[in-house]
Amino acid sequence: MRVVTYIEAITEALVEEMRRDERVFVLGEDVAVYGGVFKATKGLLDEFGPLRVIDTPVAEELIVGAAVGAAAMGMRPVPELQFSDFASCGFDPIVQQMARLRYRSGSSWTCPMVVRICCGGEIGGGIYHSQTNENWFFGTPGLVVLAPATPYDAKGMLKAAIRGEDPVIYLEHKRLYRWIKGQIPDDDYTVPLGRADIKRAGSTLSIVSYQLMVHRALEAAEMLSKEGIDIEVVDLRTLLPWDKELVLESVRKTGKALVVHESPKTGGVGGEIASTIMEEAFDYLDAPVWRLTGPDVPPMPFAPVMEKEYMPNAEKIAAKARALAAY
Amino acid sequence: MSAEVITKQAPSAPIPAVSAEDQKKLYYFLIKTRLFDERCRRLFKQGRFSGTYFSAVGQEASGVGSAFGLRTDDVIAPSHRELGAYVTKGIPLVHFLKQIFARADSSDKGKSHPCHYGSAEHGLYTPASTMAGQLPVGVGMALAFKIRKEPRVCMAFIGEGGTSRGGFHEALNFAGIHDLPIVFVCMNNLWAESVPARLQSRIERYSDRAKAYGFPGATIDGNDLLVVYTTVKAAIDKARSGAGPTLIECLTYRWYGHSEIDPANYRDPQEVEKWKRRDPVALYERHLDTAGVMSAAERGKVKETIEVELDEAITIAEASPHPQAEEAYDDVYSFSPLLNFPVRSS
Repeated sequence: MRVVTYIEAITEALVEEMRRDERVFVLGEDVAVYGGVFKATKGLLDEFGPLRVIDTPVAEELIVGAAVGAAAMGMRPVPELQFSDFASCGFDPIVQQMARLRYRSGSSWTCPMVVRICCGGEIGGGIYHSQTNENWFFGTPGLVVLAPATPYDAKGMLKAAIRGEDPVIYLEHKRLYRWIKGQIPDDDYTVPLGRADIKRAGSTLSIVSYQLMVHRALEAAEMLSKEGIDIEVVDLRTLLPWDKELVLESVRKTGKALVVHESPKTGGVGGEIASTIMEEAFDYLDAPVWRLTGPDVPPMPFAPVMEKEYMPNAEKIAAKARALAAY
Repeated sequence: MSAEVITKQAPSAPIPAVSAEDQKKLYYFLIKTRLFDERCRRLFKQGRFSGTYFSAVGQEASGVGSAFGLRTDDVIAPSHRELGAYVTKGIPLVHFLKQIFARADSSDKGKSHPCHYGSAEHGLYTPASTMAGQLPVGVGMALAFKIRKEPRVCMAFIGEGGTSRGGFHEALNFAGIHDLPIVFVCMNNLWAESVPARLQSRIERYSDRAKAYGFPGATIDGNDLLVVYTTVKAAIDKARSGAGPTLIECLTYRWYGHSEIDPANYRDPQEVEKWKRRDPVALYERHLDTAGVMSAAERGKVKETIEVELDEAITIAEASPHPQAEEAYDDVYSFSPLLNFPVRSS
C-alpha cells in the first residue's frame, strides 16, 4: 500500500490502462502537451505519443461524438471535458449517441467509453467553473454515472469503467484533486461499479452522499460523535444506476436518512433517493427523509461569501443531522 | 438553384474508367433502390407498418453512386435518406424490411423507427434523428482507422439542412486538421423538410464550406449516376491514401414529402415536375441505351429478379415475430443494473 492524491490515482489508472490495452486513448482540450488543465494527463503524451493522446480544438460535440465513433470501431476512448460546465456543448452526443446507441441498435452497436469530466465547487471557480451537473446525466438511462470520493475508489472505478462495455460519465471533483490523499494497493485492482460503500458505520441516522460531500459528512459525523450521535455515511460512488439495496439496508438499520449533495435541490439526485426510500422503506422510517443540497440558484456564485452560502459544509450538515436525530 | 448549373472542381486523384460490368452493377443497385423504396411507400399506405416512412425516391443516384466505391470493410455514418448507399453496401432487402416492420429479429430488435437502418455486420452505423450528430461519430470512426493504421474509409452523409448544425462544422474542422480517411457527402435536395436551401444558408454551393476547413469540396449533378460514382470514388481513394477528406455536394431532389405524412405542399408543383424530368433512373437508362451497355430487355430481367426478391423479403419480414413487451427493458446496459454491475475482466 502507498499514499497518493485523488488526481494521482486518476493519472495512474489512465497510464496503467493505456499500457494494458492499446485500444485505450485519450482526447480533449489541453490533454497532450499541457497534460490537462489540472495535470491529470501529465506524462501521457511522452509515453504513448500523439496518436493516443490527442489535443483537440475547442469542440465538445466533436470530442464526445468522435469518441462514440471510435468506440463503435472497437477502440476504448477516454475523452476529457475540462469542466462539467462545458458538458452542455457536448450534450447532444452524450444523450443521443452515447447513452442510446446500444438501445436504439438492439445491442448491435455498443459504446464502451469513459468521459472524464472535472466538476464541483468550493474552489472559487465562479459560475462557469464550479458546476457539478450530475443531475443532467442522472435522468439519462443508458449512461453509467460515477462520482468517486477517495483515491482508492477513483483509481479502481476508472479502471473498471475503462474495462467495461458501457458508456460512462466519470465525474472528478476538482476540490478533491490535491486535497484528498489515501492509500491504494501497489497491485492492479478494480472497484465494482454500481455498488455504494459504507464510509463510516453508525446507528443514529444515515447520510447518503457522494464526492466532496462524503468528506464533509464524515467531518460532521466526527463533530456529532462527541454528542452521542452516531452517523452512518453511505458513499453512493455510482450515481446511475445507484445501489438501492445498500442505501435501503442502511436506512432500515438507522430509521433516518439525510441526503447531501452540492448541486441544486430541485431535480437533483437527492429527490430520487428520498422518494425511493419512502416508497420501499417507509415502515422503517422514524422521521421524514431530509435533503441538504445546494440551493435552487445557478451554481455557483463567485464572491467567496456567496459561494460559502451556496455550498453545504460540515457545520451545515452537522446542524441538519442534529435536528434530524432529535426528530 | 437548378441542377443545370454545376460547378465541379476536379478531384486531385485521377477519375477511374467505369467498366461495362460495373455499369450493369450500378444499374442493379439503382433500380433495386427505386423498386424497394416505391414498394415501401405502398406498404405504409396500406397500413402494414406504423410510424412513417422517409422515401429517398429521386435521390437514388447520389446514394448508390457514393457507396459503390466503398469496400466491404469501409463504414457508413448515415443520416436517413441514403437508401441507395445502404443497398449498395450489400445489405439484403429483408434486413431493411424487418427494421421497418419493427420485428424482434431485426438488427435493432424493434427499438428504432422506420428508416433508421443499421447493420454492424455491413458497417452501417445506426443513426439518431439529431441532424449532423453522425458526422462527429463518423470522424471518430475514421480516427480509429488512422490510429490503428488500417486502410479503411468512413463515408458520412448529411443533408444541406444538417450543414447548419454545429456538429457539421466541428466534424469537418477536426477531419481537416488530421487528414482523416473520411468522405463527407452532402445530399442537397433543396428542402430541409419545409425550409428551402436559400433560408438555410447565404452561400449557394454547400461544398464551398470545405474551403473553411482546408480540404477540397465539389458540387456535382447528384442525379447523374456515373458522375457521382467517379467523383466520390476519387475522394474515397484519396482518403484511403492518407491525403485527407473531401466534401461532395450532390444536387438532387426528393420527389415526395419529408416523410409519407408530409404532403410537401410548400413546393411549387412546377419545380417537382422539372426534377422528375431529371429522374436519375430514366437518365441512367438512357445512358445505358446510348452507350449500348445494357438493353431494355436485359434491364427488364433484372427488375423481375428484384421484384421476386422483394416479394419474398416482405413475406419473410411480415412473418417474423413481433418483440415481446418486456423486451423494452433490454439493451440499456451490457448487464442488468440489478446485478450491481459485475465488471467484466479482460
